[in-house]
Amino acid sequence: MSATAAGHALHVLRANRVSAFAAILAVVLVLTAGFGPLLLPFDPIASDVAISLQPPSALHWAGTDQLGRDVLARVIAAGRLDYAIAAAAVFLSFIVGAAIGGACGFRGGAVDRWVGRIVDVLMAFPLFVLAMALVAALGNRVENIIYATAIINLPFYIRFARAEVAVRRGAGWVEAASASGNGPWRIVFSFLLPNVLPAMAVQISLNLGWAILNAAGLSFIGLGVHPPTPEWGIMVAEGARFITVGHWWLVTAPGLALMLSVLCFNLLGDGLRDMLDPRMRT
Amino acid sequence: MTKLASIARLAGQRLLSSLPALLGVVIFTFVLMRVLPGDPAVFFSSGPSAGKQEIEQLRHQMGLDRSIPVQLAFYLRDIATGSLGHSMTTGQDVTKDLRERLPASLELTFAALILALGLAIPMGVLAALNPNAWIDHAVRFFCTLGVCVPTFVSGLLLIYAFYYLAGIAPDPTGRIDVFASPPPAFTGFLTIDSLLAGDSEAFWSALRQLILPAATMALFVLAPLARMTRAAMLAVLGSDYIRTARAMGLSRPRIIIAYALRNAALPVLTIAGIVFSTMLGANVLVEKVFSWPGVAAYALDALLASDYAPVQGFVLLMASVFVVVNLLVDVLYGLADPRVAS
Amino acid sequence: MNALARILGTCAVASVLAGGAAHAQTRAETLRQVTGNAFNTLDPNLPGSTRESFGLAMSTYDRLVSFERKPNGKGFIFDFDHIRPELAQSYSVSPDGLTITFKLRPDAKWHDGTPVTAEDIKWSLDRVVTAKGLGAPQMLTGSMTKADQFTIIDPMTVQVKLDRPDKLALPNLATVYPIMVNSKLVKQHVTADDPWGLQWTKDHEAGSGPYIVDTFKPGEQVILHRFDDWKSGKDGKLPFFKRVIGQTVPEAATRASLLQRGDADISIDLAASDVLAMEKDPKLKIISTPQFNAWQMIAFNQRVKPYDNLKVRQAITAALPYEDMFKAAIFGRGAPLFGGTWTTGAPSPLFLQPMPEHTDLAKAKALLTEAGFPDGFDTTFSYSVSTAQINDPLAALLKESLGKIGIRVDIQKLPDAQMSTLVTEKKLAMFTDTSISWMTTTDYFVRNFLTGDQRWNYPSLDDKALETLAQTARFTADPAKYDEMARQLVTMVAAETPEAFLWQPSQDAVVVPSIEGYTYWFHRQVDYRDMYRK
Repeated sequence: MSATAAGHALHVLRANRVSAFAAILAVVLVLTAGFGPLLLPFDPIASDVAISLQPPSALHWAGTDQLGRDVLARVIAAGRLDYAIAAAAVFLSFIVGAAIGGACGFRGGAVDRWVGRIVDVLMAFPLFVLAMALVAALGNRVENIIYATAIINLPFYIRFARAEVAVRRGAGWVEAASASGNGPWRIVFSFLLPNVLPAMAVQISLNLGWAILNAAGLSFIGLGVHPPTPEWGIMVAEGARFITVGHWWLVTAPGLALMLSVLCFNLLGDGLRDMLDPRMRT
Repeated sequence: MTKLASIARLAGQRLLSSLPALLGVVIFTFVLMRVLPGDPAVFFSSGPSAGKQEIEQLRHQMGLDRSIPVQLAFYLRDIATGSLGHSMTTGQDVTKDLRERLPASLELTFAALILALGLAIPMGVLAALNPNAWIDHAVRFFCTLGVCVPTFVSGLLLIYAFYYLAGIAPDPTGRIDVFASPPPAFTGFLTIDSLLAGDSEAFWSALRQLILPAATMALFVLAPLARMTRAAMLAVLGSDYIRTARAMGLSRPRIIIAYALRNAALPVLTIAGIVFSTMLGANVLVEKVFSWPGVAAYALDALLASDYAPVQGFVLLMASVFVVVNLLVDVLYGLADPRVAS
Repeated sequence: MNALARILGTCAVASVLAGGAAHAQTRAETLRQVTGNAFNTLDPNLPGSTRESFGLAMSTYDRLVSFERKPNGKGFIFDFDHIRPELAQSYSVSPDGLTITFKLRPDAKWHDGTPVTAEDIKWSLDRVVTAKGLGAPQMLTGSMTKADQFTIIDPMTVQVKLDRPDKLALPNLATVYPIMVNSKLVKQHVTADDPWGLQWTKDHEAGSGPYIVDTFKPGEQVILHRFDDWKSGKDGKLPFFKRVIGQTVPEAATRASLLQRGDADISIDLAASDVLAMEKDPKLKIISTPQFNAWQMIAFNQRVKPYDNLKVRQAITAALPYEDMFKAAIFGRGAPLFGGTWTTGAPSPLFLQPMPEHTDLAKAKALLTEAGFPDGFDTTFSYSVSTAQINDPLAALLKESLGKIGIRVDIQKLPDAQMSTLVTEKKLAMFTDTSISWMTTTDYFVRNFLTGDQRWNYPSLDDKALETLAQTARFTADPAKYDEMARQLVTMVAAETPEAFLWQPSQDAVVVPSIEGYTYWFHRQVDYRDMYRK
């Protein structure tokens, strides 16, 4: 099973260069975020105002910022936090959304209608403004940025899981599982959701990128993480304001990191869809 | 005739059934704003000599000295009478502010959507006609690149390149050149108003101001539109009737444009509807960067100042637009697809 | 298709040319200011008025009197000690200091062309002390509280009576709030709930100032044109600019670009980093004035433990990296209020002067141990989102430096409304903000910023001796005696260490080279009357 799955994945990757590129990029990015901070000689937090705002040099490859901190060190250190924010937010909305949506799709009835109503309310919200309001209300800390991002993604997952489960509810194999004594929760989680997973994986991957952008947007209006924590969004938001002044390096490195990450998640999402789409298995 | 009637009935039902959601939005926003830790009475009385008495007085004036359920009841009553309260930030009635600012946001969003569709549909079609060929990958890569850059970065970069360096773009400060006189307001869309007034100078000025912010937004939504066009086209191209049409020897352009694209239009339309309402609410950052006097930037300022009424009004407005756009999409769907109405 | 494109193209070219020509005539006589904030009301007395609205009201309304200005570097600075008549033709103060008499201008007109009468003046003065607005609490600081202090002597004379000889009465009449309004016009729009017509003047202007409002789009822009019948100018002169555009451009980087491209004429709220880069730009001129009536500080709220402990406050003041903060946060653009060398008490009677604060980590650590916190403590440091550009780096440096003596700082960047609520409720522990005082006497600073249970007493200082001395100084007429008391006040403040004084930030007005006459005013806004183009 796994051998053929791997073989299929390889086949898809070979057939689709863009996805292959994305997959390699993902590995590189995650490894850099994971191990990069161990290799760097600079502390991303410690300031040295004497060497502030220096352009890239042999010593500081991406230059230094307003407080004389190494930009590259900060970009690499920020990777962990940004990936963690994105992953936590998406994981949260996926788990909660799949559970609620799956239950609704399977059960139907009054609960389904009520949940539907609530989802309608959430969907009708201007999402970014909702995220801003939530972060402003809860306080701009990392966990609240995660919650806010998770909440605005939630309706997608609920709807998606609900629709997919509802379609399959009447399928023969579900009835067979039910007849052989499986409870409703077990059916939803063991049989229905795994079948929905592939389709959701695409959404997950796209949302990972989106979550990073969302955090960056929040940073731009001042509702991002607190200094001196390095985070791409805040570095990009700050750096973008230095472009006209000529301090281009402040935005370049974090901007590239952010862009590559989002690009990677998006392409991966596409690739995943191709990979999971049985019609590609030829 | 019967089809139109049934669509109208369906639309009416949809509109009615969306009322609870709108009410939910109103209540949720209302509560959320009051959970915000800032006290607007304190904030707005923060003149150089704010005393306790002054704060209390302002709180009374804003109705904040009543309990939250009572405030909510008053607010709902106000909405029923067409009032959305008073903005402390601009000192105006929220309805007046929104009425003046909504056209700005709508015009920008429409321009961005048209621009995005104009690019995304041909790209999506090209990709679908050559699946997995280099052009397909190139389209995918290009569109995805657009989604990767936060709008405030692409906005600032576009300003830097086209205004600051090249000097081609007009100064990024609002909807019309500050020295030009705006056309008499009719629709609120400056491009349309200036055409109606026959004022070509104002028209060009308004159009030039639109280009950069619209491009910034369009870049960000290319991907879903192109992706959906491609998927829909692929599905349609693989269907029986296209095969039949091919077998009947119809020309390729004719098949693509007359049959395939027409049938693929429905899912694209749906996505375009979603994209439109998301953009309208999400263009906060673009409006900020381009000093665009739209509703989203208005709501952001109010939010940071804990100014309740404008945020509540904005959210209600956006939710209503969302409902109406969805309804329009459904109606268009119904008109185009015989199965929906029956 | 091609034909259409050609027609459209021709239109475009034609319109650009026509537009260019039309602009060329008026552009030189138009002043375009860009600002990050909003003009939100036409009457500065309304709660919620922004600073930009204050600046606007200085040009649309006249007051009875106005501060003079004096040259300062490339520009001017307001002169608190010299007050000239404005809408009044002349004024006189009685020898006992209890009566101020204003003679009106016989030829002064409101914007609607009707003459300015003593009734208008009396009504306007009544309005500012009575209406529920921002003016009344300000007038209180000049001992003007009730309408019966103002009397009409004859059709050309109005008198102000004071209970005490208050030095700040006349200066208060020159501030933003006591605007002279066309009472006949406003009275047509008053209601039972709003007897002074504040709701109407919010977006209708009824003044006699040098500029008339053409367009007012709150939060967007305001366009003014000159009132050519204006008689209240210095030596009767009209302002240079025939048209003024004030525009809100939220992004500082965009404002910078507008100036660099020469599309805007002036901005006074650019990012310090932008200003730094613009200094090298020959296409721009920077007029820097230390805001001598404003200062940034780090306040220690004594109602929150352990800031009630003097040794803790002293320890933190000794641990702050002043020089680094000065360089990294505001790029050295300002006047330091740290690093003063005092021998015996304050060397100057001014409230804002370099305080004897120096970075000395060893001393800080020792003080902290003496205070009973050898291992430091946990605390918070707060500032508002709108000040993040300056305070993000400042907070990072503070956290790092206090960490070295064991104080663990949690940085809180709060939305502005939340910040001001917490400040007013006295709930923040340690925070930074910039305070500004319109009146520049030392006792006024102390009374308004370091005493009483009111919002602006950031450190919640409660020192009876300080309060008594400040009150005494307030009514001390003899300058030498006053200076002595002022010096003593500042010395007492330094001993208490209620806050760490950081700096007076520079007001950096960036203008295109053709613009002259910029004046730094007490309200920190551009006064359009001063400006002209070479």
